[in-house]
Amino acid sequence: MIGTRFFFARSRWMHWLLLPAMLLWLSPLAWMLVTSFKTRAEIFDPAAGVLPQVLQWGNYPAALAVAPFGTYLINSLMVTGGILIAQLTTITLAAYAFARLRFPGRDLLFGLFLLQVMFPIYATFLTNFITVRELGLLNSLWALMVPFIASGYGTFMLRQAFRQVPQDLADAARLDGCGHWATLWHVYLPLVKPTLIAFGMISVVTHWNDYMWPLLVTNSESVRTLPIGLGLLAKADSGADWPRLMAATMVVIAPLMLLFLIFQRRFVDSFMHAGLK
Amino acid sequence: MTAISLQGISKRYPDHVAVDRLDLDVQAGEFMVLVGPSGCGKSTTLRMIAGLEDISEGRLLIGGRDVTHAEPHERDIAMVFQSYALYPHMTVYMNMAFGLLRASKLTRSEVDQRVNEAASRLQITELLQRRPNELSGGQRQRVAIGRALVRKPKVFLFDEPLSNLDAKLRTHMRGELERLHAELGITIVYVTHDQVEAMTLGTRIAVMDRGHLRQVGAPMEVYRRPANRFVASFIGSPEMNFLPVSEDMAEGRAWLNHHYGAASLQPGTVLGLRPEELLISSVEVAAPWSWPGVVQRVERLGAEAYAQIRVGTADVLVRTEADAALEASKPVFLTPELSRLRVFDGQTGATLATRE
Amino acid sequence: MTTLTLADALETVPAVRKRARRREVITAVVMLAPSLLFLAAFTYWPIIRSLIYGFYDVQLGSSAIFFVGWENYQRLWHDALFWQSLRNTVVYMVITVPTSIGLALLLAVALDRKLCGTGLYRSVFFYPVMVPSVAAGMVWVFLYAPGYGPINGLMEMLGLPKLEWLYDRQWALPAIIFMSIWKYAGYFMLILLAALQLVPRDLYEAARLDGVSGWRQLIHITVPLISPTLYFVVIIGVLHSYQIFDYVFVMTQGGPADATNVLTFYIYQNAFQFQDIGTASAIANILLLVVIGLIAIVALTLGRRVHYMGR
Repeated sequence: MIGTRFFFARSRWMHWLLLPAMLLWLSPLAWMLVTSFKTRAEIFDPAAGVLPQVLQWGNYPAALAVAPFGTYLINSLMVTGGILIAQLTTITLAAYAFARLRFPGRDLLFGLFLLQVMFPIYATFLTNFITVRELGLLNSLWALMVPFIASGYGTFMLRQAFRQVPQDLADAARLDGCGHWATLWHVYLPLVKPTLIAFGMISVVTHWNDYMWPLLVTNSESVRTLPIGLGLLAKADSGADWPRLMAATMVVIAPLMLLFLIFQRRFVDSFMHAGLK
Repeated sequence: MTAISLQGISKRYPDHVAVDRLDLDVQAGEFMVLVGPSGCGKSTTLRMIAGLEDISEGRLLIGGRDVTHAEPHERDIAMVFQSYALYPHMTVYMNMAFGLLRASKLTRSEVDQRVNEAASRLQITELLQRRPNELSGGQRQRVAIGRALVRKPKVFLFDEPLSNLDAKLRTHMRGELERLHAELGITIVYVTHDQVEAMTLGTRIAVMDRGHLRQVGAPMEVYRRPANRFVASFIGSPEMNFLPVSEDMAEGRAWLNHHYGAASLQPGTVLGLRPEELLISSVEVAAPWSWPGVVQRVERLGAEAYAQIRVGTADVLVRTEADAALEASKPVFLTPELSRLRVFDGQTGATLATRE
Repeated sequence: MTTLTLADALETVPAVRKRARRREVITAVVMLAPSLLFLAAFTYWPIIRSLIYGFYDVQLGSSAIFFVGWENYQRLWHDALFWQSLRNTVVYMVITVPTSIGLALLLAVALDRKLCGTGLYRSVFFYPVMVPSVAAGMVWVFLYAPGYGPINGLMEMLGLPKLEWLYDRQWALPAIIFMSIWKYAGYFMLILLAALQLVPRDLYEAARLDGVSGWRQLIHITVPLISPTLYFVVIIGVLHSYQIFDYVFVMTQGGPADATNVLTFYIYQNAFQFQDIGTASAIANILLLVVIGLIAIVALTLGRRVHYMGR
């Protein structure tokens, strides 16, 4: 009795803590939204209220007109999609090899894959830039993809998943005439779909939002991605035309945000279980 | 015709030997049961026949062909796994058709025909479009068998297929398996640790112990005339009684030597008598043998009773009538049914003498 | 009747098994080749090259390189800006990582109780992870704007003095730290939440019966039981702090007066503004050392005290 009352009270107390925190967390997004509908004058006028007087829908087309956002969008799609497909291929093959094949140096090689997690792109962007330049790939969509195609993290995740497939199924497949490749395709892959999806989501979110690397290796409009485009816009305006900038920002974050809203559970589950070893 | 011939088959690991120079022939149409305690190598042997484990030494012939190095799907065998190993993401139909579509030269319609044929024989036709996780244990069991049936192999391999089922279902499936065997005349190699299954299902049973084959024969043969102490103790439930022969058993020895021949009853040998091969009486019975003992416990099971009797330093389990007038601490006399007695060598466990 | 072929007679079992084993190795090689290729080319080769270039004078424009030994490092040793950026980097990591994780832990514990609205809360705290860093940076530049930004507006309302934030040498880095926490705490929160849900409920009830509740429960039960995940999160946190480059690049460009110049940004400056790849590589190597050093420290202190539930 006392216990439940105590517990109940604490539950409500949680809300007192969480609600303000939640509002705090949402406020940047809210401000972004609100600002995108104001006029320039309203921003600088201290007397103006929080909400816009009149919704300036015009800010949006204006923002999009400044730069070829359509091209940026297509590039983002192609790069993110390309990386995802390449990654899924490499990690599937590597994870199967590590999970089910025996060969000398297996543990050492796996260690190399794991180690990659420790070296994020920032540690190597400089010399990778030089490599890409030497390969003649500068300023191409390929340059945006190549450093990410091997994923130690993805290999690790998928190996865990493969190991959980019962050995009996592999035996049955062998009896049914499947070699390693056939077993991988017909038996293992269908059974690890959730892991593939989880990894896919993480990959898409990470690489859709890549800024640093694309900045370094691209130079012309035709290969820029959305984040780059946004960055350029910010530079150009230099803090003068906030509403237009905010509108552009809203547009840039819209795709992922929309997907997130629709597939909330999936996204959250993917990232949540990414951490479990 | 010999369906399978294992010749000197061994499986060696770096630190131990799982199967040691096994020689076994399985005749066509036979239901051969490999039975033994865990770790005896029966599953390893089965997997070597299937091709899922490499053979370290020896030769394997199936249907007269040397398949020692052949891939599993080239051996003309089919296997039913303990866990059924049904592909969870495929329908029952696909589970059964998959192997045929991949590895055989049958046309689509031939495959379809075989699947439907097997499905109707096993009464799972209405389940063909379901997924394994929608089926009960018994249904999954039948799908696993169906998957093997469609291949029309020379040999069926079963790896403890009934151990995941509850007792009632197990009895039912035993009947099903017997029926299939009788109807189709297929050759079966069946692995189990349950000697009841071995006794009831097998046309012949092969008893294994720590990588060695201890005895092969028809169930009743193995039961009545075990080749050694291990087989004698493993087959038969409740377990056989073992009485070390001691000096003060002198009187009966002469009689036994006469009837069983040669110096069988030296001290150091062991007598083997099953619970049903001993009689309890309250008075000393005439020659040749009557051991005095004291009742320790009586277990009444309804149709019969088992009494645990201490004779000298050994405890002997005796089967008797359900309503026998026995209670703890009662002094009684035990008489062996001499026609069934077995003598084992105290050291090697080999059977020195049996009758019948 | 047995049928033998000559080949069978000649073939020994060990020989066949060796062939089969070799086939397995070849399959493995084929499967690993794509990953290894890209790993070698874009993860390990760059590191080796960076180590090498640290000892050379390399200019961005030309392909000629000159060996200079320790000169780059010596120059850095005397470079006040280098030390400044190193200091900023360490300060950033040391403050952001524990604070983010601490906050994340509190949020996770709060959300672990299956309150109504948990799904909503989770999404709200997590969404900043989905926002591209450049977008987040820009929004916060607006929020932090001294004249008209909402944050100063809020400060005014609360009776606090208005600050220059990103233009103030003292407050620029803290401003970015605060933003980093907003951006990433949600990610840690999710991972910790997943770990919390694996802790058996009976432990909490047993503790309640023993009279242990609230904070003490947190410290003595929760934390030890999720320590492997906490450990993992700390390492992830340290690794993610590289992201500060994006924020600095978009929000302050290292200023004001290098108050927010961090090692990653200084590398960028050296490489692409001063065109000095050699020095930039040297700094990159030092950065790598710093991060590995930090992780090693974490591994040796926290790693030792990680408690694995009977695996």
